[in-house]
Amino acid sequence: MSKLLSWRGWLVFAALAALPLFPWMSKYYMLLAFDALLFGAVAMSLDLLMGYTGLVSFGHAAFFGLGAYATAVLLERGVLSLWLCLGFAAVVVGVYALTVSYFATSRRGIYFALLTLIFAEVVYTVFRYTQAFGGSDGIQGLPSPELAPGFALDSPARLYYLVVAYLLLAYLACRVIVRSHFGQVLVAIRENEDRARFLGYNVQRYKMAVCLISAVLTGLAGALYPGRSAYATPDLLHWSVSGEFLIMVMIGGLGTLVGPILGGAFFIILQEKVSSYVQWYNIVVGLVLVLIVLFAPRGLLGFRQAMRGRAGREAPG
Amino acid sequence: MSGQATAMLEVEGVSKNFGALAALAGVSLTVRAGEVFSVIGPNGAGKSTLFNVISGLHLPSAGHIIFKGEEITDLGPEVINRRGLAKTFQITNIFPGISVYDNVRVAAQSCVSISGRLTSLWRLPDVEGPVVELLGAFGLAARRDELAQNLSHGEQRYLEICLALATEPALLLLDEPTAGMTPGETKEATALIRGIARSRRLTVLLIEHDMSVVMGISDRIAVLHFGQKIAEGPPAAIRNDPQVIDAYLGGAED
Repeated sequence: MSKLLSWRGWLVFAALAALPLFPWMSKYYMLLAFDALLFGAVAMSLDLLMGYTGLVSFGHAAFFGLGAYATAVLLERGVLSLWLCLGFAAVVVGVYALTVSYFATSRRGIYFALLTLIFAEVVYTVFRYTQAFGGSDGIQGLPSPELAPGFALDSPARLYYLVVAYLLLAYLACRVIVRSHFGQVLVAIRENEDRARFLGYNVQRYKMAVCLISAVLTGLAGALYPGRSAYATPDLLHWSVSGEFLIMVMIGGLGTLVGPILGGAFFIILQEKVSSYVQWYNIVVGLVLVLIVLFAPRGLLGFRQAMRGRAGREAPG
Repeated sequence: MSGQATAMLEVEGVSKNFGALAALAGVSLTVRAGEVFSVIGPNGAGKSTLFNVISGLHLPSAGHIIFKGEEITDLGPEVINRRGLAKTFQITNIFPGISVYDNVRVAAQSCVSISGRLTSLWRLPDVEGPVVELLGAFGLAARRDELAQNLSHGEQRYLEICLALATEPALLLLDEPTAGMTPGETKEATALIRGIARSRRLTVLLIEHDMSVVMGISDRIAVLHFGQKIAEGPPAAIRNDPQVIDAYLGGAED
Protein backbone atom coordinates (compact mmCIF):
# COMPACT_ATOMS: atom_id res chain seq x y z
CA MET A 1 0.00 0.00 0.00
CA SER A 2 1.35 3.39 -0.92
CA LYS A 3 2.02 6.14 1.59
CA LEU A 4 -1.20 7.24 3.26
CA LEU A 5 -0.34 10.81 3.99
CA SER A 6 2.24 12.98 2.24
CA TRP A 7 4.72 15.01 4.30
CA ARG A 8 2.58 18.01 3.48
CA GLY A 9 -0.46 16.28 4.93
CA TRP A 10 1.38 15.49 8.15
CA LEU A 11 2.54 19.11 8.25
CA VAL A 12 -1.06 20.33 8.02
CA PHE A 13 -2.14 18.09 10.88
CA ALA A 14 0.90 19.14 12.93
CA ALA A 15 -0.11 22.77 12.34
CA LEU A 16 -3.69 21.98 13.37
CA ALA A 17 -2.38 20.30 16.54
CA ALA A 18 -0.23 23.34 17.32
CA LEU A 19 -3.04 25.83 16.71
CA PRO A 20 -4.28 26.05 20.33
CA LEU A 21 -0.78 27.13 21.42
CA PHE A 22 -1.21 30.51 19.74
CA PRO A 23 -2.24 33.21 22.22
CA TRP A 24 -4.98 34.62 19.98
CA MET A 25 -6.78 31.28 19.95
CA SER A 26 -9.52 32.26 22.36
CA LYS A 27 -12.28 29.86 23.41
CA TYR A 28 -14.43 31.39 20.72
CA TYR A 29 -11.93 30.65 17.97
CA MET A 30 -11.28 27.19 19.35
CA LEU A 31 -14.97 26.31 19.04
CA LEU A 32 -15.14 27.91 15.61
CA ALA A 33 -12.20 25.73 14.58
CA PHE A 34 -14.05 22.72 16.05
CA ASP A 35 -17.08 23.44 13.87
CA ALA A 36 -14.96 24.12 10.81
CA LEU A 37 -13.12 20.80 11.08
CA LEU A 38 -16.20 18.81 12.12
CA PHE A 39 -18.22 19.95 9.13
CA GLY A 40 -15.17 19.60 6.93
CA ALA A 41 -15.13 15.92 7.97
CA VAL A 42 -18.83 15.61 7.16
CA ALA A 43 -18.35 17.14 3.71
CA MET A 44 -15.46 14.72 3.09
CA SER A 45 -17.69 11.77 4.00
CA LEU A 46 -20.35 13.03 1.61
CA ASP A 47 -17.69 13.30 -1.10
CA LEU A 48 -17.37 9.50 -1.08
CA LEU A 49 -20.91 9.43 -2.43
CA MET A 50 -21.01 12.55 -4.56
CA GLY A 51 -17.50 12.84 -5.94
CA TYR A 52 -16.50 9.20 -6.20
CA THR A 53 -19.73 7.29 -6.79
CA GLY A 54 -21.76 10.03 -8.47
CA LEU A 55 -24.66 9.73 -6.02
CA VAL A 56 -26.20 12.95 -4.72
CA SER A 57 -27.61 12.54 -1.22
CA PHE A 58 -30.12 15.12 -0.02
CA GLY A 59 -30.43 13.40 3.33
CA HIS A 60 -27.06 13.59 5.05
CA ALA A 61 -28.47 15.84 7.77
CA ALA A 62 -30.39 12.80 9.01
CA PHE A 63 -27.15 10.83 9.47
CA PHE A 64 -25.52 13.76 11.25
CA GLY A 65 -28.57 14.52 13.40
CA LEU A 66 -29.19 10.88 14.31
CA GLY A 67 -25.58 10.63 15.48
CA ALA A 68 -26.09 13.75 17.60
CA TYR A 69 -29.35 12.44 19.08
CA ALA A 70 -27.77 9.05 19.80
CA THR A 71 -25.12 10.77 21.91
CA ALA A 72 -27.67 13.12 23.48
CA VAL A 73 -29.94 10.28 24.56
CA LEU A 74 -27.06 8.52 26.30
CA LEU A 75 -25.65 11.66 27.92
CA GLU A 76 -29.12 12.57 29.16
CA ARG A 77 -29.31 9.22 30.94
CA GLY A 78 -25.91 9.64 32.54
CA VAL A 79 -23.98 7.38 30.15
CA LEU A 80 -20.97 9.66 29.73
CA SER A 81 -18.46 7.39 27.95
CA LEU A 82 -17.63 8.92 24.60
CA TRP A 83 -16.86 5.45 23.22
CA LEU A 84 -20.31 4.15 24.10
CA CYS A 85 -21.84 7.26 22.51
CA LEU A 86 -19.83 6.74 19.33
CA GLY A 87 -20.65 3.04 19.21
CA PHE A 88 -24.35 3.63 19.78
CA ALA A 89 -24.40 6.38 17.12
CA ALA A 90 -22.65 4.11 14.62
CA VAL A 91 -25.19 1.33 15.16
CA VAL A 92 -28.22 3.65 14.96
CA VAL A 93 -26.96 5.50 11.91
CA GLY A 94 -25.77 2.27 10.29
CA VAL A 95 -29.16 0.56 10.59
CA TYR A 96 -30.93 3.67 9.30
CA ALA A 97 -28.45 4.06 6.43
CA LEU A 98 -28.87 0.45 5.32
CA THR A 99 -32.64 0.89 5.27
CA VAL A 100 -32.53 4.13 3.31
CA SER A 101 -29.89 2.95 0.88
CA TYR A 102 -31.67 -0.33 0.21
CA PHE A 103 -34.61 1.59 -1.22
CA ALA A 104 -32.71 4.58 -2.60
CA THR A 105 -30.15 2.52 -4.53
CA SER A 106 -32.87 0.58 -6.29
CA ARG A 107 -33.57 3.83 -8.15
CA ARG A 108 -31.25 6.10 -10.05
CA GLY A 109 -30.36 9.75 -10.47
CA ILE A 110 -32.92 12.18 -9.18
CA TYR A 111 -34.91 9.36 -7.58
CA PHE A 112 -31.98 8.41 -5.40
CA ALA A 113 -31.67 12.04 -4.27
CA LEU A 114 -35.41 12.34 -3.63
CA LEU A 115 -35.63 9.09 -1.66
CA THR A 116 -32.76 10.14 0.61
CA LEU A 117 -34.55 13.48 1.11
CA ILE A 118 -37.91 11.87 1.89
CA PHE A 119 -36.42 9.47 4.45
CA ALA A 120 -34.55 12.35 6.08
CA GLU A 121 -37.72 14.44 6.28
CA VAL A 122 -39.47 11.54 7.99
CA VAL A 123 -36.67 11.41 10.56
CA TYR A 124 -36.91 15.18 11.04
CA THR A 125 -40.66 15.01 11.56
CA VAL A 126 -40.39 12.12 14.02
CA PHE A 127 -37.87 13.94 16.20
CA ARG A 128 -39.60 17.30 15.84
CA TYR A 129 -42.89 15.95 17.20
CA THR A 130 -41.82 13.24 19.64
CA GLN A 131 -41.91 14.53 23.21
CA ALA A 132 -39.54 11.81 24.41
CA PHE A 133 -36.86 13.55 22.31
CA GLY A 134 -37.87 17.01 23.51
CA GLY A 135 -39.96 17.91 20.46
CA SER A 136 -38.92 21.17 18.83
CA ASP A 137 -36.63 22.06 21.75
CA GLY A 138 -34.60 18.90 21.32
CA ILE A 139 -32.52 17.56 24.18
CA GLN A 140 -30.88 20.43 26.05
CA GLY A 141 -28.40 20.98 28.84
CA LEU A 142 -26.35 17.86 28.34
CA PRO A 143 -23.26 17.02 30.41
CA SER A 144 -19.89 16.64 28.70
CA PRO A 145 -18.94 13.18 27.50
CA GLU A 146 -15.88 11.52 29.01
CA LEU A 147 -12.94 10.12 27.11
CA ALA A 148 -12.16 8.00 30.17
CA PRO A 149 -13.82 7.97 33.60
CA GLY A 150 -12.98 11.34 35.16
CA PHE A 151 -11.56 12.80 31.94
CA ALA A 152 -14.43 14.95 30.69
CA LEU A 153 -14.25 16.68 27.33
CA ASP A 154 -15.34 19.91 28.94
CA SER A 155 -12.88 22.47 27.56
CA PRO A 156 -12.71 23.93 24.05
CA ALA A 157 -9.10 22.73 23.74
CA ARG A 158 -10.01 19.12 24.57
CA LEU A 159 -12.93 19.20 22.16
CA TYR A 160 -10.73 20.70 19.51
CA TYR A 161 -8.13 17.96 19.82
CA LEU A 162 -10.90 15.40 19.69
CA VAL A 163 -12.13 16.71 16.35
CA VAL A 164 -8.59 16.94 14.95
CA ALA A 165 -8.06 13.29 15.87
CA TYR A 166 -11.40 12.35 14.31
CA LEU A 167 -10.65 14.24 11.12
CA LEU A 168 -7.24 12.58 10.83
CA LEU A 169 -8.64 9.07 11.28
CA ALA A 170 -11.63 9.68 9.01
CA TYR A 171 -9.39 11.17 6.34
CA LEU A 172 -7.00 8.23 6.45
CA ALA A 173 -9.94 5.82 6.23
CA CYS A 174 -11.37 7.63 3.20
CA ARG A 175 -7.94 7.82 1.57
CA VAL A 176 -7.47 4.06 1.95
CA ILE A 177 -10.96 3.36 0.63
CA VAL A 178 -10.74 5.50 -2.50
CA ARG A 179 -7.41 3.92 -3.42
CA SER A 180 -8.66 0.37 -2.86
CA HIS A 181 -10.30 -2.16 -5.16
CA PHE A 182 -13.63 -0.97 -3.74
CA GLY A 183 -12.80 2.68 -4.48
CA GLN A 184 -11.92 1.87 -8.11
CA VAL A 185 -15.29 0.19 -8.55
CA LEU A 186 -17.04 3.26 -7.11
CA VAL A 187 -15.43 5.42 -9.78
CA ALA A 188 -16.44 2.91 -12.45
CA ILE A 189 -20.04 3.11 -11.19
CA ARG A 190 -19.87 6.91 -11.38
CA GLU A 191 -18.57 6.72 -14.94
CA ASN A 192 -20.91 4.05 -16.29
CA GLU A 193 -22.89 1.87 -13.92
CA ASP A 194 -24.46 -0.28 -16.64
CA ARG A 195 -21.07 -1.35 -17.90
CA ALA A 196 -19.92 -2.01 -14.34
CA ARG A 197 -22.77 -4.54 -14.03
CA PHE A 198 -21.70 -6.29 -17.21
CA LEU A 199 -18.18 -6.56 -15.80
CA GLY A 200 -19.51 -8.62 -12.91
CA TYR A 201 -20.07 -5.96 -10.24
CA ASN A 202 -23.22 -6.01 -8.13
CA VAL A 203 -23.72 -2.26 -8.43
CA GLN A 204 -26.49 -1.96 -5.86
CA ARG A 205 -24.42 -3.73 -3.23
CA TYR A 206 -21.49 -1.39 -3.86
CA LYS A 207 -23.78 1.62 -3.62
CA MET A 208 -25.27 0.40 -0.35
CA ALA A 209 -21.80 -0.23 1.06
CA VAL A 210 -20.55 3.26 0.23
CA CYS A 211 -23.78 4.80 1.58
CA LEU A 212 -23.19 2.91 4.82
CA ILE A 213 -19.58 4.07 5.10
CA SER A 214 -20.41 7.68 4.29
CA ALA A 215 -23.39 7.69 6.67
CA VAL A 216 -21.50 6.16 9.59
CA LEU A 217 -18.62 8.64 9.19
CA THR A 218 -21.16 11.47 9.11
CA GLY A 219 -23.01 10.00 12.09
CA LEU A 220 -19.79 9.73 14.12
CA ALA A 221 -19.14 13.41 13.43
CA GLY A 222 -22.70 14.11 14.56
CA ALA A 223 -22.06 12.09 17.71
CA LEU A 224 -19.24 14.48 18.61
CA TYR A 225 -21.46 17.53 18.25
CA PRO A 226 -23.42 17.46 21.58
CA GLY A 227 -20.06 17.47 23.42
CA ARG A 228 -19.53 20.93 22.02
CA SER A 229 -23.09 22.29 21.96
CA ALA A 230 -24.62 20.50 24.98
CA TYR A 231 -27.77 19.93 22.93
CA ALA A 232 -29.27 18.02 20.01
CA THR A 233 -32.16 19.74 18.26
CA PRO A 234 -34.34 18.86 15.26
CA ASP A 235 -32.66 21.75 13.40
CA LEU A 236 -29.67 19.46 12.91
CA LEU A 237 -31.91 17.09 10.94
CA HIS A 238 -33.45 19.73 8.71
CA TRP A 239 -33.13 19.39 4.92
CA SER A 240 -31.45 22.79 4.70
CA VAL A 241 -28.51 21.28 6.62
CA SER A 242 -28.26 18.56 3.94
CA GLY A 243 -28.21 21.38 1.39
CA GLU A 244 -25.36 23.07 3.20
CA PHE A 245 -23.39 19.82 3.16
CA LEU A 246 -23.85 19.62 -0.62
CA ILE A 247 -22.64 23.21 -0.98
CA MET A 248 -19.56 22.45 1.13
CA VAL A 249 -18.63 19.58 -1.19
CA MET A 250 -19.31 21.63 -4.32
CA ILE A 251 -17.24 24.66 -3.27
CA GLY A 252 -14.44 22.39 -2.07
CA GLY A 253 -14.18 20.28 -5.22
CA LEU A 254 -15.87 16.97 -6.00
CA GLY A 255 -13.86 13.79 -5.76
CA THR A 256 -10.86 15.24 -3.98
CA LEU A 257 -11.55 14.49 -0.26
CA VAL A 258 -9.27 17.38 0.79
CA GLY A 259 -11.36 19.89 -1.18
CA PRO A 260 -14.60 19.22 0.73
CA ILE A 261 -12.71 19.50 4.05
CA LEU A 262 -11.62 22.97 2.94
CA GLY A 263 -15.11 23.66 1.59
CA GLY A 264 -16.73 22.74 4.89
CA ALA A 265 -14.29 24.81 6.94
CA PHE A 266 -14.58 27.75 4.54
CA PHE A 267 -18.39 27.66 4.64
CA ILE A 268 -18.55 27.55 8.46
CA ILE A 269 -16.00 30.33 8.94
CA LEU A 270 -17.55 32.51 6.24
CA GLN A 271 -21.03 32.10 7.71
CA GLU A 272 -19.82 32.80 11.24
CA LYS A 273 -17.70 35.84 10.40
CA VAL A 274 -20.23 37.51 8.12
CA SER A 275 -23.11 36.87 10.51
CA SER A 276 -21.22 38.60 13.30
CA TYR A 277 -21.22 41.82 11.26
CA VAL A 278 -24.55 41.92 9.43
CA GLN A 279 -27.96 40.37 9.89
CA TRP A 280 -28.43 39.74 6.18
CA TYR A 281 -25.38 37.48 6.18
CA ASN A 282 -27.10 34.84 4.09
CA ILE A 283 -27.08 37.23 1.13
CA VAL A 284 -23.34 37.75 1.42
CA VAL A 285 -22.65 34.03 1.90
CA GLY A 286 -24.88 33.21 -1.06
CA LEU A 287 -23.12 35.77 -3.23
CA VAL A 288 -19.69 34.36 -2.38
CA LEU A 289 -20.91 30.85 -3.20
CA VAL A 290 -22.32 32.00 -6.53
CA LEU A 291 -18.99 33.61 -7.38
CA ILE A 292 -17.12 30.42 -6.51
CA VAL A 293 -19.42 28.31 -8.67
CA LEU A 294 -19.10 30.78 -11.55
CA PHE A 295 -15.35 31.25 -11.48
CA ALA A 296 -14.18 27.97 -9.95
CA PRO A 297 -16.80 25.45 -11.01
CA ARG A 298 -14.56 22.61 -9.91
CA GLY A 299 -14.30 24.04 -6.42
CA LEU A 300 -11.50 25.61 -4.40
CA LEU A 301 -9.19 22.68 -4.91
CA GLY A 302 -10.10 22.25 -8.56
CA PHE A 303 -9.32 25.92 -9.06
CA ARG A 304 -5.92 25.49 -7.52
CA GLN A 305 -5.21 22.43 -9.69
CA ALA A 306 -6.33 24.28 -12.80
CA MET A 307 -3.99 27.16 -12.00
CA ARG A 308 -1.11 24.78 -11.43
CA GLY A 309 -1.92 23.01 -14.68
CA ARG A 310 -1.93 26.30 -16.57
CA ALA A 311 1.43 27.26 -15.11
CA GLY A 312 2.91 23.94 -16.19
CA ARG A 313 1.46 23.02 -19.54
CA GLU A 314 -2.07 23.10 -20.85
CA ALA A 315 -4.83 23.17 -18.24
CA PRO A 316 -6.54 19.79 -18.20
CA GLY A 317 -10.06 19.52 -19.53
CA MET B 1 -28.99 -31.47 -29.26
CA SER B 2 -25.44 -30.63 -28.34
CA GLY B 3 -23.77 -33.01 -30.81
CA GLN B 4 -20.33 -34.56 -30.21
CA ALA B 5 -18.51 -31.41 -29.15
CA THR B 6 -19.44 -30.00 -25.71
CA ALA B 7 -21.99 -27.24 -25.80
CA MET B 8 -20.80 -23.93 -24.32
CA LEU B 9 -24.13 -22.18 -24.74
CA GLU B 10 -27.56 -23.56 -25.49
CA VAL B 11 -30.42 -21.27 -26.41
CA GLU B 12 -33.67 -23.23 -26.26
CA GLY B 13 -36.85 -21.88 -27.79
CA VAL B 14 -36.26 -18.31 -26.65
CA SER B 15 -38.97 -15.74 -27.35
CA LYS B 16 -39.04 -12.11 -26.35
CA ASN B 17 -42.03 -9.85 -26.77
CA PHE B 18 -42.02 -6.09 -26.40
CA GLY B 19 -45.72 -5.36 -26.14
CA ALA B 20 -47.26 -6.69 -29.33
CA LEU B 21 -43.89 -6.93 -31.08
CA ALA B 22 -42.30 -10.37 -31.10
CA ALA B 23 -38.61 -9.48 -31.26
CA LEU B 24 -37.64 -13.12 -30.90
CA ALA B 25 -39.88 -16.09 -31.69
CA GLY B 26 -38.71 -19.50 -30.54
CA VAL B 27 -35.04 -19.14 -31.37
CA SER B 28 -32.81 -22.13 -30.59
CA LEU B 29 -29.12 -22.46 -31.22
CA THR B 30 -26.11 -24.22 -29.74
CA VAL B 31 -22.64 -22.74 -29.54
CA ARG B 32 -19.94 -25.40 -29.19
CA ALA B 33 -16.85 -24.88 -27.05
CA GLY B 34 -14.01 -23.29 -29.01
CA GLU B 35 -15.92 -22.22 -32.10
CA VAL B 36 -16.72 -18.82 -33.55
CA PHE B 37 -20.47 -18.72 -34.07
CA SER B 38 -22.05 -15.76 -35.84
CA VAL B 39 -25.58 -14.46 -35.90
CA ILE B 40 -26.51 -12.38 -38.91
CA GLY B 41 -29.70 -10.84 -40.15
CA PRO B 42 -31.13 -7.56 -41.44
CA ASN B 43 -31.74 -4.58 -39.17
CA GLY B 44 -34.48 -5.34 -36.66
CA ALA B 45 -34.10 -9.10 -37.03
CA GLY B 46 -33.67 -9.47 -33.25
CA LYS B 47 -29.91 -9.96 -33.05
CA SER B 48 -29.23 -7.44 -30.30
CA THR B 49 -32.33 -8.58 -28.41
CA LEU B 50 -30.97 -12.13 -28.50
CA PHE B 51 -27.69 -10.87 -26.98
CA ASN B 52 -29.52 -8.87 -24.33
CA VAL B 53 -31.51 -11.94 -23.33
CA ILE B 54 -28.43 -14.18 -23.21
CA SER B 55 -26.35 -11.69 -21.21
CA GLY B 56 -29.06 -11.12 -18.61
CA LEU B 57 -30.28 -7.61 -19.47
CA HIS B 58 -33.73 -8.86 -20.51
CA LEU B 59 -35.73 -11.79 -19.20
CA PRO B 60 -37.01 -13.91 -22.10
CA SER B 61 -40.79 -14.23 -22.48
CA ALA B 62 -40.28 -17.95 -23.03
CA GLY B 63 -37.44 -20.42 -23.35
CA HIS B 64 -34.20 -21.24 -21.56
CA ILE B 65 -30.56 -20.23 -21.71
CA ILE B 66 -28.05 -22.88 -20.63
CA PHE B 67 -24.41 -21.85 -20.15
CA LYS B 68 -21.77 -24.54 -19.45
CA GLY B 69 -24.59 -26.91 -18.58
CA GLU B 70 -26.26 -24.60 -16.06
CA GLU B 71 -29.42 -22.61 -16.49
CA ILE B 72 -28.76 -18.84 -16.48
CA THR B 73 -32.13 -17.67 -17.81
CA ASP B 74 -33.14 -15.70 -14.70
CA LEU B 75 -29.74 -14.37 -13.65
CA GLY B 76 -28.63 -10.74 -13.83
CA PRO B 77 -25.72 -9.50 -15.97
CA GLU B 78 -23.29 -9.25 -13.05
CA VAL B 79 -23.87 -12.90 -12.05
CA ILE B 80 -23.68 -14.15 -15.63
CA ASN B 81 -20.41 -12.28 -16.14
CA ARG B 82 -18.90 -13.94 -13.08
CA ARG B 83 -19.92 -17.34 -14.51
CA GLY B 84 -17.66 -16.59 -17.48
CA LEU B 85 -19.77 -14.89 -20.12
CA ALA B 86 -18.72 -11.39 -21.20
CA LYS B 87 -20.39 -9.05 -23.66
CA THR B 88 -19.28 -6.08 -25.73
CA PHE B 89 -21.69 -3.41 -26.88
CA GLN B 90 -22.71 -2.23 -30.31
CA ILE B 91 -22.61 1.37 -29.11
CA THR B 92 -19.32 1.90 -27.32
CA ASN B 93 -19.89 1.52 -23.60
CA ILE B 94 -16.74 2.38 -21.67
CA PHE B 95 -15.76 4.48 -18.63
CA PRO B 96 -15.18 7.80 -20.40
CA GLY B 97 -13.71 9.96 -17.62
CA ILE B 98 -10.88 7.70 -16.43
CA SER B 99 -7.70 6.55 -18.12
CA VAL B 100 -7.50 3.67 -20.59
CA TYR B 101 -5.41 1.75 -18.07
CA ASP B 102 -7.92 2.33 -15.26
CA ASN B 103 -10.74 1.20 -17.56
CA VAL B 104 -9.14 -2.18 -18.12
CA ARG B 105 -7.88 -2.43 -14.55
CA VAL B 106 -11.33 -2.10 -13.04
CA ALA B 107 -12.56 -4.77 -15.43
CA ALA B 108 -9.67 -7.12 -14.61
CA GLN B 109 -10.24 -6.57 -10.89
CA SER B 110 -13.69 -8.07 -11.02
CA CYS B 111 -12.38 -11.61 -11.28
CA VAL B 112 -9.74 -11.48 -8.52
CA SER B 113 -10.52 -13.40 -5.37
CA ILE B 114 -11.03 -10.40 -3.04
CA SER B 115 -13.65 -8.86 -5.32
CA GLY B 116 -16.83 -8.29 -3.34
CA ARG B 117 -15.16 -9.17 -0.03
CA LEU B 118 -14.46 -6.93 2.94
CA THR B 119 -10.72 -6.83 2.29
CA SER B 120 -11.38 -5.09 -1.02
CA LEU B 121 -12.05 -1.97 1.08
CA TRP B 122 -8.36 -1.49 1.78
CA ARG B 123 -6.48 -3.66 -0.70
CA LEU B 124 -5.82 -3.03 -4.36
CA PRO B 125 -5.00 -6.25 -6.21
CA ASP B 126 -2.12 -6.25 -8.66
CA VAL B 127 -3.53 -6.87 -12.13
CA GLU B 128 -0.84 -4.94 -13.99
CA GLY B 129 0.32 -8.02 -15.93
CA PRO B 130 -2.94 -9.01 -17.63
CA VAL B 131 -3.93 -5.36 -18.19
CA VAL B 132 -0.66 -4.48 -19.91
CA GLU B 133 -0.86 -7.65 -21.99
CA LEU B 134 -4.37 -6.81 -23.19
CA LEU B 135 -3.50 -3.20 -23.99
CA GLY B 136 -0.49 -4.44 -25.92
CA ALA B 137 -2.52 -6.97 -27.90
CA PHE B 138 -4.90 -4.24 -29.05
CA GLY B 139 -2.23 -1.63 -29.71
CA LEU B 140 -3.35 0.60 -26.86
CA ALA B 141 -0.18 0.39 -24.76
CA ALA B 142 0.99 3.87 -25.76
CA ARG B 143 -2.41 5.33 -24.92
CA ARG B 144 -2.68 3.87 -21.42
CA ASP B 145 -2.71 7.19 -19.56
CA GLU B 146 -5.10 8.90 -21.97
CA LEU B 147 -8.69 9.47 -20.84
CA ALA B 148 -10.89 6.90 -22.56
CA GLN B 149 -13.13 9.64 -23.98
CA ASN B 150 -10.15 11.07 -25.89
CA LEU B 151 -9.52 7.88 -27.87
CA SER B 152 -10.42 7.65 -31.53
CA HIS B 153 -13.51 5.67 -32.50
CA GLY B 154 -11.48 2.65 -33.57
CA GLU B 155 -9.45 2.70 -30.36
CA GLN B 156 -12.63 2.92 -28.29
CA ARG B 157 -13.98 -0.14 -30.12
CA TYR B 158 -10.81 -2.03 -29.12
CA LEU B 159 -11.07 -0.79 -25.53
CA GLU B 160 -14.64 -2.07 -25.53
CA ILE B 161 -13.34 -5.57 -26.33
CA CYS B 162 -10.48 -5.23 -23.80
CA LEU B 163 -13.00 -4.55 -21.02
CA ALA B 164 -14.90 -7.74 -21.78
CA LEU B 165 -11.74 -9.84 -22.18
CA ALA B 166 -10.27 -8.53 -18.92
CA THR B 167 -12.99 -10.36 -16.98
CA GLU B 168 -11.47 -13.61 -18.33
CA PRO B 169 -14.58 -15.06 -19.95
CA ALA B 170 -14.96 -18.51 -21.47
CA LEU B 171 -17.57 -17.18 -23.90
CA LEU B 172 -17.30 -13.75 -25.49
CA LEU B 173 -20.37 -12.09 -27.01
CA LEU B 174 -19.35 -9.49 -29.59
CA ASP B 175 -22.12 -7.16 -30.73
CA GLU B 176 -20.98 -5.69 -34.06
CA PRO B 177 -17.39 -5.13 -32.94
CA THR B 178 -16.48 -3.38 -36.19
CA ALA B 179 -19.44 -0.97 -36.17
CA GLY B 180 -18.35 2.37 -37.57
CA MET B 181 -14.88 1.20 -38.61
CA THR B 182 -13.35 1.86 -42.00
CA PRO B 183 -12.89 -1.20 -44.29
CA GLY B 184 -9.18 -1.22 -43.46
CA GLU B 185 -9.83 -1.09 -39.74
CA THR B 186 -12.48 -3.78 -40.06
CA LYS B 187 -10.04 -6.15 -41.73
CA GLU B 188 -7.42 -5.54 -39.08
CA ALA B 189 -9.96 -5.92 -36.26
CA THR B 190 -11.28 -9.17 -37.68
CA ALA B 191 -7.82 -10.69 -37.83
CA LEU B 192 -7.10 -9.48 -34.32
CA ILE B 193 -10.29 -10.95 -32.87
CA ARG B 194 -9.69 -14.27 -34.59
CA GLY B 195 -6.12 -14.39 -33.30
CA ILE B 196 -7.05 -13.55 -29.73
CA ALA B 197 -9.94 -16.02 -29.71
CA ARG B 198 -7.52 -18.75 -30.81
CA SER B 199 -4.70 -17.89 -28.42
CA ARG B 200 -7.04 -17.61 -25.43
CA ARG B 201 -9.08 -20.63 -26.55
CA LEU B 202 -12.20 -18.51 -26.38
CA THR B 203 -15.61 -19.39 -27.65
CA VAL B 204 -17.05 -16.44 -29.54
CA LEU B 205 -20.63 -15.55 -30.35
CA LEU B 206 -20.64 -12.71 -32.84
CA ILE B 207 -23.28 -10.39 -34.24
CA GLU B 208 -22.15 -8.74 -37.42
CA HIS B 209 -23.53 -6.75 -40.29
CA ASP B 210 -20.50 -6.87 -42.49
CA MET B 211 -20.69 -10.09 -44.54
CA SER B 212 -16.97 -10.12 -45.30
CA VAL B 213 -16.23 -10.18 -41.58
CA VAL B 214 -18.70 -12.98 -40.90
CA MET B 215 -17.64 -15.23 -43.77
CA GLY B 216 -13.95 -14.92 -42.92
CA ILE B 217 -14.16 -15.48 -39.21
CA SER B 218 -17.03 -17.88 -38.49
CA ASP B 219 -17.09 -21.63 -38.03
CA ARG B 220 -20.88 -21.62 -38.19
CA ILE B 221 -23.53 -19.01 -38.87
CA ALA B 222 -27.18 -18.62 -37.88
CA VAL B 223 -29.48 -16.27 -39.76
CA LEU B 224 -32.26 -14.36 -37.99
CA HIS B 225 -35.17 -12.83 -39.88
CA PHE B 226 -38.06 -11.11 -38.12
CA GLY B 227 -37.15 -12.78 -34.83
CA GLN B 228 -36.95 -16.30 -36.28
CA LYS B 229 -33.99 -18.45 -37.19
CA ILE B 230 -34.29 -19.24 -40.87
CA ALA B 231 -30.95 -20.99 -41.42
CA GLU B 232 -27.90 -22.35 -39.68
CA GLY B 233 -24.71 -23.87 -41.02
CA PRO B 234 -21.14 -23.31 -42.17
CA PRO B 235 -20.38 -20.10 -44.14
CA ALA B 236 -20.42 -21.78 -47.55
CA ALA B 237 -23.87 -23.29 -46.98
CA ILE B 238 -25.27 -20.01 -45.70
CA ARG B 239 -23.91 -18.11 -48.67
CA ASN B 240 -25.82 -20.41 -51.04
CA ASP B 241 -29.03 -20.85 -49.04
CA PRO B 242 -31.82 -19.48 -51.26
CA GLN B 243 -33.94 -18.47 -48.26
CA VAL B 244 -31.06 -16.47 -46.80
CA ILE B 245 -30.29 -14.82 -50.11
CA ASP B 246 -33.91 -13.88 -50.46
CA ALA B 247 -34.29 -12.56 -46.91
CA TYR B 248 -31.01 -10.91 -46.33
CA LEU B 249 -28.25 -10.95 -48.89
CA GLY B 250 -30.49 -10.01 -51.79
CA GLY B 251 -31.97 -7.05 -49.99
CA ALA B 252 -28.80 -5.83 -48.34
CA GLU B 253 -28.14 -2.96 -50.74
CA ASP B 254 -28.67 -0.18 -48.16
